Formats: sequence, structure tokens, C-alpha cells
Amino acid sequence: VSSAVLEQFRAVGRDLFVAGVISSHGGNLSVRMGDRILITRRGSMLARLEERDIIETGLEQNDANVMLASTEINVHRAIYQGTAAQAIVHAHPPYAIARSLMCDEIVPIDSEGSYLLHKVPVVHTELTAGSKEVADLLPRWLKEYDIVMLRGHGPFAIGHLLEEAYQLTSVLEMACRIMTIADGFSERIKEYRKGSDRYESW
Amino acid sequence: VRPLRGLRLDLSRRASAVEELPADVVRRWLGGRGLGAYLALRERLYAVEPLAPENVLLFAPGPLTGTSAPASARYSVTSRSPLTGTVFDGNSGGNFGNALRRLGWDYLVVTGALDAPGYVTVGLGASAASFDGQSFDGPGDVGVRPVGELQGAEVPVALARLRELYPKSEAAVIGPAGERGVLFASIVNNRGRSIGRGGLGAVMGSKRLKALVLSGRGAHKPPVADPERLEFIVYEAEKLLKSNPITSTALPEFGTSVLVNVLDQAGALPTRNHRESRFEGAAAISGEALKRDHVRRRSACRGCIIGCARRTEAGGESGEGPEYESMWAFGAQCGVSDLTAIVQANYACNRAGMDTITMGSTIACAMELTELGRLPGGPRFGDARAIIELTEATAAGEGLGAELGLGSARFAALHGRPDLSMSVKQMEMPAYDPRGMKAQGLAYATSNRGGCHLRANMLGPEILGVPKMVDRFATLGKAGLLINLQNLNAVLDSLSVCKFTAFAMKEDYYARQLSAVWGEQVEPQELLLLGERIWNTERLFNLAAGFTRADDTLPARLLHEPVPAGPSAGQVVDLPPMLDEYYISRGWDAQGVPVAAKLERLGLEETAAAAGVAPGVRRASEPAAAADGTAAL
Repeated sequence: VSSAVLEQFRAVGRDLFVAGVISSHGGNLSVRMGDRILITRRGSMLARLEERDIIETGLEQNDANVMLASTEINVHRAIYQGTAAQAIVHAHPPYAIARSLMCDEIVPIDSEGSYLLHKVPVVHTELTAGSKEVADLLPRWLKEYDIVMLRGHGPFAIGHLLEEAYQLTSVLEMACRIMTIADGFSERIKEYRKGSDRYESW
Repeated sequence: VRPLRGLRLDLSRRASAVEELPADVVRRWLGGRGLGAYLALRERLYAVEPLAPENVLLFAPGPLTGTSAPASARYSVTSRSPLTGTVFDGNSGGNFGNALRRLGWDYLVVTGALDAPGYVTVGLGASAASFDGQSFDGPGDVGVRPVGELQGAEVPVALARLRELYPKSEAAVIGPAGERGVLFASIVNNRGRSIGRGGLGAVMGSKRLKALVLSGRGAHKPPVADPERLEFIVYEAEKLLKSNPITSTALPEFGTSVLVNVLDQAGALPTRNHRESRFEGAAAISGEALKRDHVRRRSACRGCIIGCARRTEAGGESGEGPEYESMWAFGAQCGVSDLTAIVQANYACNRAGMDTITMGSTIACAMELTELGRLPGGPRFGDARAIIELTEATAAGEGLGAELGLGSARFAALHGRPDLSMSVKQMEMPAYDPRGMKAQGLAYATSNRGGCHLRANMLGPEILGVPKMVDRFATLGKAGLLINLQNLNAVLDSLSVCKFTAFAMKEDYYARQLSAVWGEQVEPQELLLLGERIWNTERLFNLAAGFTRADDTLPARLLHEPVPAGPSAGQVVDLPPMLDEYYISRGWDAQGVPVAAKLERLGLEETAAAAGVAPGVRRASEPAAAADGTAAL
């Protein structure tokens, strides 16, 4: 693992924890390097990643390292095989998870979320962590949207770079926090975005 | 998706015919560049001499051309390049593509050659009894007239005269350079926009075709299946374009030449034939200086809200440009800091219909040969008069200009130092020194039309932070990013929309625009897969034409001569490991040939077989395709 790649993992992992969108041992990150994947170690603390926490394994073929890889390795593989993603961020952001329990899509009301996301689909499966069902379902949705919310579990975001996927994750959580705060006022929102009634069709 | 309707013009037989491409071809190759690659392979142009009558010129707008999609008034021309020998497409703004679609044609194929120089009209009364030229047999109201007074006419003169003869027409013309067979001659349309770089103007000249003139009165409106949806997506897209500082401020205010200072400060501005990567005269030839001293007003392609073009004046002349690449080619690359001379050299290229990058870089090559004593009496670095005089001599085919018209690769070889040509696949690299932005070196080496920044420009991630900033000196780990950019650009050239929109927009915006136009869902990831298919189609063409891994390289200078000073001091490009990573990421074997699983995934098995390209040899460590055919490799 090159020092540049390790530093990317460390920076994003630390920021995810500091932002409160993962628990101590939650979430996972990966990047694709040709026919290989670099993915965080199962049970690693993303805020304290060391070189030993970045596991290299095959994009398609298993090897011994698969024992060490994140529980979600098969989901990450399926996403890489079904899309042009070069990086994946999976986190457990609390406001987004809470909102996913109540709706089938998240349509931000803030400016940043509206620009960058328009809407985020919420999908669900019986088994939410590392299951074949998730591995089958998510790539199909990620062909259309760069970030998809797995109900009650958390979003999977893709990008050409790790930072891109991290940004989408961060923007989604911020959008959900703002929606939660706005909900608390129990007031009707004064719409400021032309065409926002069509965001659901994005 | 509806089938495409094309018009085939056989210049030798003076005949026209209608042809149709089924919807599944459109769904797999889109239009524009993708359609060009598909047809170039189907027509087996890899086995044709570029300047022989059998070569073909394919004019093709894309599915977004003529719609309200931002910056979509574009079209492509594809052929086999006389400069590179590769498949080659160029695209440009202007109304030519719109006019073609409005005449009811989705593409135009030009084959054969006229027996005497002339120009061809479409939809301009050639079938009327009063037509004084010769009508083509067949549909499309096609006719040919002798070149007459247009023989040897410079581009602006030819365009103006054709507009007088045919009001409301749209023309694509060649200048004296194309008529003389300069290997980097351009095709230029009424907006002064060029199909540049690979010498498709020389292909047109070899067909004795001075101009192709279309009626601008066609009544066929390009179809949009869901106009309301398109309006919504375009509104959202324009919000991004208006808020992004590159597309809303820098390009509108300074044009592309805003990059001179940016690249110089990064130590990535090639200088004096790539001997250095900073230019002491950068400030004098910057976008800021151009704006202050020469720009008279902005201009834009039709329907573009960015408006990066410039009307300028210099030395009593006025004209278009120069763009950043042209400023660099005649400026830093030649060691010239006289901006007036640079603008005039650019005008000379525009008049003659020649590519500015190749012209400037070929002169720079001559300057270095002179300094090394291999070109007695030749031009020297910093000679401002020489860049104008040699450009004019090249257009006229006089003196040293006759040799310069071959481009730097052939010119340097003639003088015994082929290593002094700063080209890839015989096409000159533009204004980004890969020793200061390493993945740009990989982009040049793997570009399927030679040294080119338009196949993929790592300026975004390596200098401007689009989509995000990456370590510009890092060698490994960037192949996937580059490949996605190459695939996306293949899509943009096929839609056909301006790449500058991608400074603000991601692939999902283009996919949603296309979905609205077609009335069928196109997922963003499907669009990237389309781009990958187009890229591999072009690769198959080049493999069939005899290109190998050995051609995916850079000039030795960039591999072995460290940058002497500045922010990139000491840097060279360590290409082999980057190329290995790239081939693996592409699903190609160690020689750069797509493996069977990749061809299968892209649906190119029959295309490869028809071109005589056997699948690549899979590395021992690689798995076979998944049972469902979705293997990413």
C-alpha cells in the first residue's frame, strides 16, 4: 500500500468518525486498483487506520486475505463489477439512517444537498450486512445514483476517487440533519428552489 | 431510440444514396465520434491509405446536437488520419451539425474523390434545372460545382464567398493547407471552428473537395421525446455551469488562455520544445495579457452559456483566438514572448486552415535542430518573426515550410533526430508537461489519436481539483481515474457536447439529458460503459492498423531528461508501470489487446473478429468471465 493511498484511507476514515457518521468500529472503505481491491480490515477502527488495516485482495478471485477483509467485501466487489466506481464509502450516519426508516427516498431541502444529490433512493433487504441480497441489489441502484441508502443500515457511495464518495456521504448526512431540524419547527417550508417539485423524478 | 438516416456521397461516381443504421447500433455507439469509430471499422479504413480516394470522411452530429442541451451545437468528423495513421475524429462547435440534422440527415459519409477540384452542395437546389454545376445521381439534392474562384482561397475568404453565393448556408471548408496536403490541415466551418489536429483537412483536399455546403433552411427539428423533462435537466445543469468558477468566471472572462499562468506556476508549461517546464515570458503571453491588449469581445458557440472564445486584434488584423494551446505552441514552446506575433501566427493558421499545436511545436522542433547545428540557417528559439513567416511558408508549401508541413515527427526524422519531435503516434502533444502531471503522460501515451489532451485531460484532477485534487507527481493509482475520464470524454464527443461542461457536470447529467431526448432510460453507468465500448472500438481499429504497445509511449526526453528547474525539477515520467496498471485496469493483456472477457462484456467479439484482431492473452492470474458475463475485466 503506497503512502499516498494509506493517507487517503486515514484521512477519510478519521473524518467519518469525527463527523459522527460511524461508530468506533463501523463503516468500511475501499478503492479499486485495476483487478485488485484495497479494503479496510474487518473490525478495524476507521479513525485509527494503520497500514495493516488496509487489505488487498482480488476484485473477482478470493485469496487468503479475504479472511481479513471487511464483512462487506462481497458488496464492494459486486459494486466494482457492476459499475465504473473506483472508490466506495460505506458509513452509518445517524440522521440519514433514522430518516431511511420513514421514507423510500430522501429528497434534501438544503441548497448543497439539492445541488449534489437531488434525491437519494432508500432500498431495503432482509439481511442488511454483507449479504448476497445486498450485493445483488446495490449495484443495480448505483448504476443510476452515486449514493444509495440501505434502510436502517447506511449509505453506499461511489466515486472516481475516495474523496468524492466521502463527500456524497457527508452531504447526505448534513441534508438529513437539516431536514430533522426543520421538522422540529413544525412549520411549512418556504420554497426557494425553482423546479424542486421535480426532484423526486431525478 | 430511432434508427439513424445517413447520406452517402460518392465523389468519384457523383452519386448519392441513403443508408440507415439500426437502433441497436445507435444505442451502442450513440453518434458523433462513437458512430465514426463504428463506421471506420465497418468500412475497414485501417487497411486504406489516408490520402487515397478510398478513405472516408464521416460527418456526424450527436443525439443532443440541435437540442437545448448546454453547449451541444457540435459535430464530429472521423477518418483515418494522414498524420497519425490511427482512427481519427475531430469535433467542433458551429452550426454545421445542426444544419445537417435539420436537413433530415443524422450523418454524412463522403467517399471517393472528385476528378477536378470543386465543392459539393446539399439541399441547395442542385436538383433544379437552373443548377449550373453537375447534380449527383440519387437523393439529397446534391451537386458539385467547379472550385473556380475558391481555388487556393484562404478559409475566411472561402467561407464569406460561399455565404454570399448561398445565403443561410452552413459550410465546412479547407484552406490552402488542406489543398496542398499539409498533414495537419483542418476543416473549418462558418463560426471559424476547426476540426483540427490530425489532418482531416488534407483528407478532404485529397478528395479535391474544397467545401461541403449545406442548406441552413432544413425543417427537420431534432427529435426530443420528453421536452419537459429535458427542460428540467437543462435548468439543473445550467445552475451548475453558472455557479462553477471555471465555467462561470475564468473561461468567460479570460478564455482558455487563463491556463498559461496556472500551468507555468505548476511547472507544467512545456518550454523550448519541452526542454524546460517553466517559461520566463509566461506573464507576457498569459490570458490576462491577451485580455488587456488584444481581446475585443467574447464570442460563443451557438447555445453555449460558457462563451470561452475571443475576437481579437493584433498588428492591424482581427480574428478569432488564440486559445491556450495556440498561445503555448507559438509562445513558450518556441521561447517567444511577443504576444502580438503569437496572435498573428495564430491568424495565419486560421487563414490557411492548419492546426496551431502541430504548427507551433514543429517550428519549435526546427528551432532545436538549428541550435544543435542540424538545420543551418534555421529559426532560433525566441524568434518572433520566424513563427509568422514559417507558418505562412508552410501554408504556401515554400522553402522550409514544405518540410514543416509534414509535422514534427517526419520533419525531425528527415534531419536525423526523430527524438526531438515532441509527439505521440506522430501527433504533437499539447501544452501540459507530463513530468509535472504524471497521469497526463499516461493519457498522452494511451490516447488513441496520438498526443492529445482532448481524449482525457488530467488538468482537472492534477491541477484544478476536478473532481478532486490528486497528487500530480504520483505514478500509480490513477489509471482507473484516467480510464473513467477517457470513457466519459468518448461519450461527450459522441453526444456531441463540449467537454468544458464537464468541469461542472458529472455523467449523471448527460445520462439524464440523453434519457429525455431518447425517451428511454440511460443510466449514468451505462453511459460510461458506452464510452468504454467506443474507446475499445477505436483501440481495435488501431490494432488492426498495426499499432502495438510500443506505440503507447512518450518522447524519450520526457522519460529520461529530468526537468531542470522549477516546481517539477528533477521529475521524469516512469511510464512502464503506469502502462501496466492501465492495461490491467482496461482489461487488456500485457500487449494492450482486449482480452476475450472484455470484448464479451462490451459486445465487441464480432467487431474484433471482423477486423482480424484476436483476443488478448489473459494473464495467468486473471479469472475467466463470470457466468453472467458481467466480469469487470
